[in-house]
Amino acid sequence: MAFDLKGILTPFAALSQGTKPPHTVKYPAEQKETAHRYRGMHHNDLEECIGCGTCSTICQNGAIDMIHIDGYETNNGDSGLRPRVDNGRCCWCALCVDVCPTGSLNLTSDYIYVTEDPDSFLWTPGVDNAKDGKEKLSWQSSEGKRLLDYERVPMKELEGTERVKSFAEVVLGYTEDEARKEADRCIACGICTDICPVHMHIPEYINAIARGEDDDAVRIIYDNNPLGEMCGKVCTRRCETTCAINHKGDPVAIRWLKEYVTARVKNADVIKEILNPDIAEPNGHSVGIIGAGPSGLTAAYYLALKGFDVTIYESKAHAGGMIMYGIPKYRLPLDSIDKQVDYMLSIGVKIKYNTKVGTDITFNELKEKHEAIMIGIGFEVPYPIGLTGEDAKGSIQAVNFLYNINSGINVDIGDKVAVIGGGNVAIDAARVSKRMGAEVTILYRRRVEDMPADWEEIEGAEHENVIIHPQAIPLEVISDENGKVTGVKYANAEMIADDKGGRPRPKIIEGDEHILPLTTLIGAIGQEADYSFIPDDIKEQIEISRGRIVVDENQATALPWLFATGDIANRQADAISAIADGYRAVKSIEKLLLKK
Amino acid sequence: MLDKDCNENKCAEQIKKTFQTAEVEVKREKRVTVQLRSDLIPPFLSFAKEFMEFKHLSHMSCVDWVEDNELELVFILWNYEQQVQIIAKTRIERVNAQFVSVKKFWNQAETYEREFHEMYGVNFVGNDRLGEFILEDWEGVPPMLRDFDSIKYSKETFYQRPGREDAQNVRATIAKHSGEEVPGFAKDYTIRNIED
Repeated sequence: MAFDLKGILTPFAALSQGTKPPHTVKYPAEQKETAHRYRGMHHNDLEECIGCGTCSTICQNGAIDMIHIDGYETNNGDSGLRPRVDNGRCCWCALCVDVCPTGSLNLTSDYIYVTEDPDSFLWTPGVDNAKDGKEKLSWQSSEGKRLLDYERVPMKELEGTERVKSFAEVVLGYTEDEARKEADRCIACGICTDICPVHMHIPEYINAIARGEDDDAVRIIYDNNPLGEMCGKVCTRRCETTCAINHKGDPVAIRWLKEYVTARVKNADVIKEILNPDIAEPNGHSVGIIGAGPSGLTAAYYLALKGFDVTIYESKAHAGGMIMYGIPKYRLPLDSIDKQVDYMLSIGVKIKYNTKVGTDITFNELKEKHEAIMIGIGFEVPYPIGLTGEDAKGSIQAVNFLYNINSGINVDIGDKVAVIGGGNVAIDAARVSKRMGAEVTILYRRRVEDMPADWEEIEGAEHENVIIHPQAIPLEVISDENGKVTGVKYANAEMIADDKGGRPRPKIIEGDEHILPLTTLIGAIGQEADYSFIPDDIKEQIEISRGRIVVDENQATALPWLFATGDIANRQADAISAIADGYRAVKSIEKLLLKK
Repeated sequence: MLDKDCNENKCAEQIKKTFQTAEVEVKREKRVTVQLRSDLIPPFLSFAKEFMEFKHLSHMSCVDWVEDNELELVFILWNYEQQVQIIAKTRIERVNAQFVSVKKFWNQAETYEREFHEMYGVNFVGNDRLGEFILEDWEGVPPMLRDFDSIKYSKETFYQRPGREDAQNVRATIAKHSGEEVPGFAKDYTIRNIED
């Protein structure tokens, strides 16, 4: 046999592999890291999640249910539900993550899950992986992958310098294209409807706008709000603060969409044509309403539709209450109010103008005429500022000032105005004064961020060059020998942290006092109601607490035939809450008189 | 033939010169997009491969522009020498969609075309393997078209696992909490069915 060197050496060739890493799997096995942005099991941050259910709606496999889990309840801004995934159906496409408006739902790098029980594939993210899910996030929603449109279609407005030249409406309104585009951003979760005092059907009317069915949107709005156009222009729109999109982007412009769709209806006749209201036959019952403000008008409208004989007693020449006399016309034009009121008159609501209860007609006469009475008189009597010299000529109250201006009465304010207060009324008075050519300063005790006024109003005032002087505490009204206001003495203040955890308090800086020269001083620190028209025996039978008539959840007072609504019955101090009160009162009155 | 130091800008210039109706854009470094009439795609692919050295077909894709009633075919080509990518796009009619097969340029195109035929319903003339591909016994709308109702298909095809009966409807839950009464005519506009 020949010598086979190759046969001897070949086995040793294997030694050359000795220095190389093995191709075999190590024992115990090491788990390799998953790819960056791997799409594994879900994790949901239960605190961040608002239960909007968009994940469930978008899931093309029908794999996501929204369920109740312990510790989470339905409340404003949260449905209280949380997603549960059927991992037997999930394909890990991550559409649910990319559409999640809060960013609470993500996918983790976990992908191993073995069970013999098919039903245990039901998995509640954030509950079933509460322990370590959050540390393993892998596929997360981020810029460029999101499926939602976070940017609002901007609303065009008159420029600040243009605005102050007239009382023309500042907001120019959406065009049809803009409205459709903005409406398309809504994800129709309905979270917003809970916080709306009226619980308007927001996703439905926005969807109608998105589909181009504007008339249907108007019908949906009028189902529980007959002052939709007014709300479209001036509502405090709490709905937008809880909008699901607001968590990461601009909330859907719910108010402007309502404005678009209602303002495009030209007059009362067209509203009636669109709504084609079903007015019940007269039912023989009569209701008297004191005050044609938002709550009075709302109640009157729905009562009239139900066949009640309704009369509103309004002390002024126009209907609308504070929305007519308190809100400047550059925010809510007169023809808009007239259009809405004219429509109500056309379906049978009666309004007796210039009829002040207690003066032109007594409360007891009203009681004899009607089976039920609703009071919605609002807060019209201003609080005094509480300063020495306040009675001087040229020291006026904002609500009276706005009333006069909105009534077309000329008010001479001169060229230097200071407004004391930080609410919407103060801002309105300041912006109106600016339109009358004055240099305007707002003196407010606390910081700008503490002002109760809407930020848009504050911003609007700033754009119009209203000077906002925060942390300024007025001390004394100064007047000349003729008793005419010449200035206001004020002191600058520093903010002191509240030991009890409340908001910081202003404290006067000793010696930092100044005098602001003035021609007019406008007070705007709040209002109250005048109940002098209510006879004492009635007053004794109902409860008035801290300036408000005490009512139950149905707007009923202690007297079964007497109801109270609006500012005198709730603490919200806005029109939409008044409308909600009016709507509730209708149901109570119906129950009382028709025994329904 | 292109220079050795050809970059994305020179590529774009060359394409513009040869295909004057093409919309050419340098998207970023090493990336050029070309929008072409559908009848110009075969000559363009041939030109890119033979004269511009884009030897590799990296990928083919299809996009359903249902609003425009069109499908978009996308061809991604790669030049190894210059490390430049061309994304060539064209739109075709969506109904009875038809296009010429490009497998004569790249064999692997055949597989993409089979997929688009099954998933988007595009008929590629010249490709004789357009039979059943991934889906079995599929009838009806090709599933990658956007008018295919995926959720309906899921509901009809897969069984509802026991234990899911406690699912709640978000819109209905909120309406119940607030006492909102959504009238019948408004429900036509409720995207998330309240009665679910």
